[in-house]
Amino acid sequence: MKHTLSVLLQNESGALVHLVGLFAARHCNIDSLTVATTKNPAVSRLTMVVQGSPALFDQIVRQTCKLIDVIDVSIPSLSSHNTTMNLAERP
Amino acid sequence: MISLNQKTSDLSLKKNHALHGQSMSGAALIMQVVVDEACEVLFGYSGGAILPVYDAILRYNIAHKRSDGREAMPLIVPANEQGAGFMASGYARASGKVGVAIVTSGPGATNMVTPVRDAMADSIPMVVICGQVPTTALGSDAFQEAPISNIMSSCAKHVFLVTNTTVLEATLRTAFEIARTGRPGPVVVDIPKNVQNATLCFDGQSRLPIPGYRKRLHKIVHARLNDADCYGFFTAFSAARRPLIYAGGGVVAAGAAPALRAFSASFAIPVTTTLMGLGSTDTTTPLALHMLGMHGAAYANYAVEDCDFMLVLGARFDDRVAPVPDQFASGAKFIAQIDIDPAEINKVKKVDWQHVGLLASTLERLTRYGIAHGVKPSPKAWQAHITTLKSRHAMNYNRDSALIQPQAVIEEINRHSQGRAIISTGVGQHQMWAAQYFDFAQPRQWLTSGSMGTMGFGLPAAIGAQCARPDALVIDIDGDSSIRMNLGELETVTSYGLPLKVVVLNNLGDGMIRQWQKLYFESGFIASDRSLCLKDFVKTAQADGFTWTRRLEDKALLASTIAEFLAVKGPAFLEVRIDPDAEVYPMVPPGAAYTQMLTGKYITSRSAPPASADETRPDAMF
Ligand SMILES: Cc1ncc(C[n+]2csc(CCOP(=O)(O)OP(=O)(O)O)c2C)c(N)n1
Ligand SMILES: [Mg+2]
Repeated sequence: MKHTLSVLLQNESGALVHLVGLFAARHCNIDSLTVATTKNPAVSRLTMVVQGSPALFDQIVRQTCKLIDVIDVSIPSLSSHNTTMNLAERP
Repeated sequence: MISLNQKTSDLSLKKNHALHGQSMSGAALIMQVVVDEACEVLFGYSGGAILPVYDAILRYNIAHKRSDGREAMPLIVPANEQGAGFMASGYARASGKVGVAIVTSGPGATNMVTPVRDAMADSIPMVVICGQVPTTALGSDAFQEAPISNIMSSCAKHVFLVTNTTVLEATLRTAFEIARTGRPGPVVVDIPKNVQNATLCFDGQSRLPIPGYRKRLHKIVHARLNDADCYGFFTAFSAARRPLIYAGGGVVAAGAAPALRAFSASFAIPVTTTLMGLGSTDTTTPLALHMLGMHGAAYANYAVEDCDFMLVLGARFDDRVAPVPDQFASGAKFIAQIDIDPAEINKVKKVDWQHVGLLASTLERLTRYGIAHGVKPSPKAWQAHITTLKSRHAMNYNRDSALIQPQAVIEEINRHSQGRAIISTGVGQHQMWAAQYFDFAQPRQWLTSGSMGTMGFGLPAAIGAQCARPDALVIDIDGDSSIRMNLGELETVTSYGLPLKVVVLNNLGDGMIRQWQKLYFESGFIASDRSLCLKDFVKTAQADGFTWTRRLEDKALLASTIAEFLAVKGPAFLEVRIDPDAEVYPMVPPGAAYTQMLTGKYITSRSAPPASADETRPDAMF
């Protein structure tokens, strides 16, 4: 199953490796990835499409939320204000 | 690199640091932040790329001479950087404070990978400072260059590579904050040599913004149970007849042991703990069920099967506890979980009630609510059932053998230490026997590599623990193969005059591996048999300066030898030749449910044992 997620990341060298490494280590293949800085040059936005079961996706999103450089995570298919902060606390 | 690091957070309301505005080298600044973060001892090994920091330690100690002749910032130099990492980890585990290790670039830093991963897997707060080649040489395959931020980013809670001198101070202070807050973990700070040598202006309180992390943490720290949450919890609790608490290392990390004890006592709920949670309850009390899981007590595992309500505290249904999640606590109609890490909720097993927040305050809130609303303790019949399980299925072993049984060695030490000693271990059978047969009165007395299961952990971890608790009785219960991995650290014990007690349970090989080979590989003892090894552990310890050393081979001398060993004032080394065929029971085979638990010959099972140990699929075994 394909899932899309959007991540706001601090624009630090190493931040991207950390995030992408998390996906690789958790056996979650990335189908597509775009990264660009936002209007605030200290912040980048990543848009990723990944394959996996809903359970795997749910866990990878929760793990992404734990990365220090991650400012916010959202899932475009859910409502726009449904950030992963709420999502990670979802039962 | 454009970075948020340029800004530092606004803490201007706080009083200025005494050294605010002072000019100093990057290395001196590193030293000052380490001191400000309440670090009491450093563990580390020097090298070219970290020399400025080492020189700063020397200068700090000269400038801060103490009247008692001790160093203001003691430095313990190991035989290998891995030793420094486990010392910092042992220090952190025994004290609850952040352990600090300082190593050089390249090989110094790569030797630190295992302890960093080990600390991550067990949620232990550490800050590891690594030297790095100068920024101008980064990426040039320079001498002793390794991509530490890449390597460590997959192992640590976080990694910083400091290329901008102006944020060195804020970065290091933030590293301590990240290590100790939330779910604790190791943070690596990679610092190029030119950054250490830069002349900088000390601020005294700057931090990096890390807005996402702080926002999420703030929410978790301030999450409170409302009345409806408490009502939901206690409605299920009161409907239950057989409630059980399953407590993990999170209880120890959160300092929630007193809150857990009060909660369990208020409502008479028995507690079983994971390997990492040992000591969160006093194991000698009637409601304590000791450890559950693969090598847990049979009575603890039976209680898990029998319970109809389970409260999970700072634990994560690891495969050594819940090998088949669907069948784990299958009688529990209601499972409640409290954890600081949102990612652990529903990760392995779906729960019916959860709270992401601080364990101690949450348990205190539940206790107050329950008492105020007249919640009754668990039924007397369940408490009586627990007592019966504990006596009928008590731990036991071959007491009649002519050979020394490892369990008897632990029981004998425990008779003296009475649950008060700090125990570290290697990994293998000896680790499990120690977990099963020692009592622990308090948390932070049990130091073991739980999740990674890293052989070689025991001796350096005990050194770190002795630094944290100089007056405590610290005992390393090690295996012959595990201690070999960091045997070089024996000299560290004597170099620093630490009164550590080292016990090697020598079964001439990798006993745990042999146990699995017996069960699953038709006793093909490849790579696990060391009976031809000529090593003399006692001579090794003597060569490293241990003055009290002994090899115990005669069962009749067990009690007197242990008494003499524990009475030694300084370091002491005891090798015990144990029955090489002694095995660890109970055992829930890997990938099997608790119903398939093997209790061995000496522990009473309540069901007929499964026909064979290998009913499980081989691919499910790990
Ligand atoms: C660094 C490392 N390598 C390999 C292993 C796999 N392993 C687990 S237990 C064990 C044997 C340990 O032998 P010993 O320390 O003598 O303990 P015993 O089981 O004999 O008590 C091995 C090889 C490990 N846990 N850690
Ligand atoms: Mg052994």
